[in-house]
Amino acid sequence: MAIIERPSTPALAGSGAPAVVTPSQAYGVLKRPVSTTGWRSWVFTVDHKKLGIMYGVVAMFFFLVGGVEALLIRLQLAGPEGTVLSAGLYNEMFTMHATTMVFLFVMPMAAAFANYLVPLQIGARDVAFPRINAFGFWCFLAGGLFLNTSWLLGGAADGGWFMYQPNANALFSPSHGVDFWGLGLQITGIASLTGAINLIVTILNMRAPGMTLMKMPIFTWMILVIQFLLVFAIPVITVALFLLMFQREFGATFFDVSAGADPLLWQHLFWIFGHPEVYILVLPGFGIVSEVLPVFSRKPLFGYRFVVFSGAAIGFVGWGVWAHHMFASGLGPVSVAVFSVATMLIAIPTGVKIVNWTLTMWGGKIWFTTSMLFAIGLVVEFTIGGLSGVTHAVAPSDTQQTDTYYIVAHFHYTIFGGAVLGLFAGFYYWWPKMFGKMLSERLGKWNFWLMIIGMNLTFGPMHIIGLQGQPRRMMNWTEARAGEGFFNLGFWNRVASVGSFVIAIGVAVFLLNVWQTHKKSSKTPKAPLDPWDARSLEWMTASPPKEHNFDAIPTVHALDEFFHRKYEVDHDTGEVRKVATGEEILAAEEAKADKHIHLPSPSYWPIILAFALPLMGYGVIYNRLLIVAGGLVVLLAMFGWALEPSVADDSDYDPPADGGGSNKELATIG
Amino acid sequence: MLGLTAASAAVLAGCAKDAPQDTWQPKGENAQKIHDLQWPVFLVAGIVGVIVMVAVGYAVVRFRDKGQPMPEQSHGKPALEIALTILPALILVGVGIPTVSTIFDLADTSDTECIVNVTGQQWWWEYDYPAQEGCGGISDPIVTSGQLVIPANTNVLLRLTSRDVIHSFWIPALNGKKDTVPGRVHTLRMQANQPGIYAGQCTEFCGLSHANMKMEAVALNPDDFQTWVANQLESYVAPEAGSQAALGEAAFTANCAYCHQVNGLSSTAPDGTVTPVLANPDQFVVSGSAPNLTHLMTRNTFAGATWDLLTDECRDRVWNASPEEFGALYLQGVTAECLNAVDLREWIRNAPAKKPMYASDAQKANSGGKVRGMPALGLNETQIDQIIAYLLERN
Repeated sequence: MAIIERPSTPALAGSGAPAVVTPSQAYGVLKRPVSTTGWRSWVFTVDHKKLGIMYGVVAMFFFLVGGVEALLIRLQLAGPEGTVLSAGLYNEMFTMHATTMVFLFVMPMAAAFANYLVPLQIGARDVAFPRINAFGFWCFLAGGLFLNTSWLLGGAADGGWFMYQPNANALFSPSHGVDFWGLGLQITGIASLTGAINLIVTILNMRAPGMTLMKMPIFTWMILVIQFLLVFAIPVITVALFLLMFQREFGATFFDVSAGADPLLWQHLFWIFGHPEVYILVLPGFGIVSEVLPVFSRKPLFGYRFVVFSGAAIGFVGWGVWAHHMFASGLGPVSVAVFSVATMLIAIPTGVKIVNWTLTMWGGKIWFTTSMLFAIGLVVEFTIGGLSGVTHAVAPSDTQQTDTYYIVAHFHYTIFGGAVLGLFAGFYYWWPKMFGKMLSERLGKWNFWLMIIGMNLTFGPMHIIGLQGQPRRMMNWTEARAGEGFFNLGFWNRVASVGSFVIAIGVAVFLLNVWQTHKKSSKTPKAPLDPWDARSLEWMTASPPKEHNFDAIPTVHALDEFFHRKYEVDHDTGEVRKVATGEEILAAEEAKADKHIHLPSPSYWPIILAFALPLMGYGVIYNRLLIVAGGLVVLLAMFGWALEPSVADDSDYDPPADGGGSNKELATIG
Repeated sequence: MLGLTAASAAVLAGCAKDAPQDTWQPKGENAQKIHDLQWPVFLVAGIVGVIVMVAVGYAVVRFRDKGQPMPEQSHGKPALEIALTILPALILVGVGIPTVSTIFDLADTSDTECIVNVTGQQWWWEYDYPAQEGCGGISDPIVTSGQLVIPANTNVLLRLTSRDVIHSFWIPALNGKKDTVPGRVHTLRMQANQPGIYAGQCTEFCGLSHANMKMEAVALNPDDFQTWVANQLESYVAPEAGSQAALGEAAFTANCAYCHQVNGLSSTAPDGTVTPVLANPDQFVVSGSAPNLTHLMTRNTFAGATWDLLTDECRDRVWNASPEEFGALYLQGVTAECLNAVDLREWIRNAPAKKPMYASDAQKANSGGKVRGMPALGLNETQIDQIIAYLLERN
């Protein structure tokens, strides 16, 4: 198994001794792939950095897909009685916009950052289970593509991303869209679940010597909290999706009123998953800005412990608030009162974070990079979303607000304002780390201002049109219900539609920025080693990092280890003096380079196993024989996975590796 | 910041006069309770928002990099942290207590004076009034749709359920919304302070024509309400023999009465035997029901309250009427001069073309041969004229 391939030095032992490697016998007949260039080096890779980049690229692709869906929705609603989309297509569009943005953009983009950065932040050479990591990525891609093929095969899901029963059963949603939706999410769920277990084990077991949990970078902390949420939330939606599949495909009656069932069961299952999911979406953004704000304020994160524990508290309380999505569903006053109060509780740890971010900047020496602008934008915009959240934690007012655009405004301020702005802060902050080149700050500022103006133009007016009584999920609105005063629906719907295109231009500027930076003729120089005067371990290695991340596993003495190696603080005067540059620190680390660095070999099997799953999915929908065929591929891939040698043999290489050198793996993989 | 503008605009949204579903203009005591609870919360949230934004704004201006030395590397002040954790907790206690008490107030059913059963289905609402001593006395059950007529200043209790998928009943001026769930009965208080008409809409996504599932609540003063009840219970008046409406009756019986009940309608066989015409919507419609059209022209809307039965001019007169004159205007119903024949003709000619529904043959195949919504009946223009003439007398 892959786990034995990690450096055999126990990470917590604190010795920092070079890894000792005993390659296992190549007892299998199956060889490991060895390509270090070309498409094979990506498709069969188990390197967390390559997988992180692939997660990012695919998630960005789906971001554009979900964005186009959003633009179509806003075009339809720009005027009364919109005719851009038919009623059926409109329902598919808003269902898939939400599904795509939640499951195929924000979650995998967070996985991209987590995959790439967590091992670097904790001073590890890879994750605990590299092949499972690759398997997770391919499951995400396979599930995402499978889900979207429904557009071409009779129509996408049209029941809303919450897929309430009985509206989503076969009688009321007869196309295969909901089947594709359920099975597609089942497959991407495997990615989340395996990823979660992998990262938990990695974070708990593979931290560099000296890095206690309370010396761990805050981003890694937030990722750890999210992975625990995933471990408990994904099984719930998995069960719900299986019930849905059996209901639609095999005549089961889990939600069938005529058979004595209660359709509210689905709502409880969905939201027990769905509410922690909200924190799964937003905590990565919180983690990112909690890294970015201190770096560009030149101060440590204010109240690190409070931020850690408030993150964990959000994670816990997040499990006790799911029914606030159901205040109008007829739960009865006792349940409503309990969930109403619990929902207010969650505002407390969230408020703690806002306070800490503000106080991190307070007294600092603030440097307005694009990344910092996005982070400040998050603090402001998320605050608006959080406060509107308090207004509907008050259950009686929620019965006026739920299922109106006011809610759409609220959760876009939290998810766009919280998650998406955080992710963009992360792009600009870690771009030089990941790709060795800085994105243009000039275009970056255009990117930021267009997105921030666009989001407020788009989602700000939705507060108004929601309080004016425009429900969500309606294919059109009519003049008769629009009103005529300052708050009339017509004007503000138009503003929202214009805003959505401003966001689109902002995203286009980001893509332009990436292209400008990386096109062949680009004159963008190589990024400096430590462009932001950063504080955490991932900056204590080359950019982009070598295949094995660190030449020597660093020994950690403090939170913000890298900063403390660069700076000396005079405890009497509070004066901060620079004592070393990043280059000097890196040179010192390289001098101690481990002689024998072992890395996991690539593997054919993760991608084969993952792509057998949509085959089975098509089987469930079209022809049960395909389930058998897909099942056989799964079985084959599992055996291949189990029986392949744990490392490539010398003779696999062409020309063969020298065989005598102690750094064979480095030569062949690096 | 734009966000700030948006947030304060949201707080100010209550000032608007004109959107009929404005959630900030309560017209009944239940909605008033919600409003009394929510505006202080909006106010406090707004103030907190402004404080945060001013603090962030001040910090980024005051502490921008002006070449000052590296700041002190302080890791936080626990006392300040704890204070800033307790403060919001106290605010939330202040919000939580009235919230809980309002939740229980709004769930109370002990003061009910009138009961109406409300049933949602794709994509319209049915209201049935059980015979009761409440509501000022209703001697026989009444079944209607489109507009919920209630006595003003009376505690009406709606008993909500659904015949197919989950819908949600919402008249913002009178109360918050409540889902209607098949297999369950939920209750919702309704009370209007004044006679008038109050707009509402289904707010739980219910499939293809969710946007076209609207409703209106009509409050009449108790005397007018009794007039309305008596009108609903009037027995069937057959059209004058040989009239356009009489031909319409035959066309209606042949084409519409399979699903749409008109109480009192009967057919006479060649041998003279008279049999009542009973609709059997459960044989043709997935949700098993279609609107009862006995007194269609006492309502102002049709097809899930999506279109008005009144011309724009007549509609405006009803909607803009003062509370004193509203009842009389409403009880006039739809007269020939006020009939919006344009939309009604289009609807009878080809309903699914006007409102998206699952009613084509191919779509019916997915639901055991039953329609969801109203199918195109293939009537010719003469038949449509006759049916409209007939319906115009259903008042």
